[in-house]
Amino acid sequence: MSNPYIPMLTTVKNIVSENKVNDIKTLELEFKKEEDYNKFNYIPGQFAEISLIGKGECPIGIASSPTEEGSIQFTIKKMGTVTSEFQNCNIGDVVGVRGPFGNGWPIEEMKGKDIVVIGGGFAFSTLRSLVIYLLNEKHRKDYKKITVIYGNRDSGEVLYRNVLEEWKKYDDIEVVLTIDREEEEWKEKVGFVAPIVKEVGPSSNNAVAVVCGPPIMIKTTIAVLEDLNFNDEQILNSLEMRMKCGIGKCGRCNIGNKFVCIDGPVFSLAELKKLPNEY
Amino acid sequence: MEVMILMKDQVAKLYDELSGEYNFFAPVKEKGYVAYRKISNPKEIELNYFNSKIPPKEILFPQMEVLFEFKTDGKNVIEIEDRKDLDEKNILFGIRPCDAHSFDLLEKFFAFGDFQDEIFLKKRENSLIIGIGCNSPKSTCFCTSVEGHPFQKDDMDIFLVDLGDKYLVEGISDKGNNLIQQLSWLSKASKADTIKAKELAKKAEDLITTKLDLTNTSQILESNFGNEIWKEVSENCLGCGSCTFLCPTCTCFDVIDENDQYENRGRRIRIWDTCQFCLYTLHTSGHNPRDNNIERCRNRILHKFSYYPLNYDLIGCVGCGRCIQVCPVNNDLRTIINKINNIKPKEEENVSV
Repeated sequence: MSNPYIPMLTTVKNIVSENKVNDIKTLELEFKKEEDYNKFNYIPGQFAEISLIGKGECPIGIASSPTEEGSIQFTIKKMGTVTSEFQNCNIGDVVGVRGPFGNGWPIEEMKGKDIVVIGGGFAFSTLRSLVIYLLNEKHRKDYKKITVIYGNRDSGEVLYRNVLEEWKKYDDIEVVLTIDREEEEWKEKVGFVAPIVKEVGPSSNNAVAVVCGPPIMIKTTIAVLEDLNFNDEQILNSLEMRMKCGIGKCGRCNIGNKFVCIDGPVFSLAELKKLPNEY
Repeated sequence: MEVMILMKDQVAKLYDELSGEYNFFAPVKEKGYVAYRKISNPKEIELNYFNSKIPPKEILFPQMEVLFEFKTDGKNVIEIEDRKDLDEKNILFGIRPCDAHSFDLLEKFFAFGDFQDEIFLKKRENSLIIGIGCNSPKSTCFCTSVEGHPFQKDDMDIFLVDLGDKYLVEGISDKGNNLIQQLSWLSKASKADTIKAKELAKKAEDLITTKLDLTNTSQILESNFGNEIWKEVSENCLGCGSCTFLCPTCTCFDVIDENDQYENRGRRIRIWDTCQFCLYTLHTSGHNPRDNNIERCRNRILHKFSYYPLNYDLIGCVGCGRCIQVCPVNNDLRTIINKINNIKPKEEENVSV
């Protein structure tokens, strides 16, 4: 047994500004101790409690894939006290990391299936992790068709542009980008995520749909997926909740008797329907 | 194990003998209330008391607690210091049966799942509870309705019974029995002493008039998340959170970083938090899953009488009655339980998304 509140120390190796407004940054972190890096075994969809020690700690989804070895990445939008502090980070700064926490995407149960990845806005980080994992040569054969549908308010908000460009070069993945309103020089789709999902019309046959985004997008998208005959077990969500500890002790992330930090953050729609509507 | 006698004027001797090896926590008078404090003089011990205002959970889970300390170079952390005091041994003297039972619940909660709370669990492991039966329970007590009893001794290491000018001393756990053996100067109890203790236990039980039937409560709660009763229950609640802050089984906490003003060091601490506050669940986006009083009051009741049974197979209440005594608008947990028990099956609703 050890003190579960003590973070492992990492240093900021690289910082990427992800959007035009410049309030979303991806930090690449390197563990100071190799033993800490070796202990940090994660799967896509898990999160960590990251902190600027002296400023505070917050839960953030892991944006990197375990197949991207040597470091880990987090995409942080300026929202509250701690995430605002993170915007002022410089290369070489020390960041505390506790984790990995949560269940993550069910990558084992997803084997042998078509994977439909649907994201909206900056909730795309753990989806980035998932898609990079699925595309990795060691894992690609375990999964069938991969479709990515990613929507944003405007072109300036599209995260991970380099990675998306690279995915488009692959012939075994369909990448569909959309923005809410038309813009000059935007050659991809225009429209909200839900109608675009309808237009793309992924087959529900032996498929899993992974949906991440703002509540209204999730709600409308689920309605479309149901029209496409996806059942409740085939639709997966990752929930966000205010958290402090990440390990099921501080109390606040409960939905009914479940804690998002240890029982989630990934829930199937079937699981969510059994829980009270309190998230 | 033989039952022994500790004279009340020997409590100082008990303190003197144990305070070298143990931090000795005992009830003391503080600002007109009784509180459990680490004492440095046996004269501080208050032997004539009902119970503490703040439950003794604060000994092992204090309102403010350091998780770790750190040094910085002015900006970045250069060193993290773990807690070094967790191996210290503690005596918790004069703990009432309801509060002793709460330690059992807290231990199960902090040990549950893949992540153990070492800070709490180590302190718990290094603590020896000398509990005491309640000769005169108050009108707000209802331990007998939540699997307790004013003379319940299972959750203690040593059990005392107040016999007037002396205590009957009974070893319960191995830890407790070993300690009693160490105290060779304790005299043996007479048959009359043990008979008197039994009489006191019976009398105490009779003094508890509240009888709640919790047999079906958890089940009723599972299917009544959307029931109208929650509006009624929360109608006059001010959301002050006193019921949770003074609850021996509430464990919620916030985590914040503190920095010293003139030195490059600080600490990450946890402080008690409550599900009765709006900020408790407020997202940075502005969204709040429990935005109003109804939802927050419901969460408190469900946590203790539905989620606790579902997750840990325990009732999350020890019947101490503190939430009843302290509520500024006289919301009474016993009334709420009775209202829940009286929900008619036809009113039941299914949980819906």
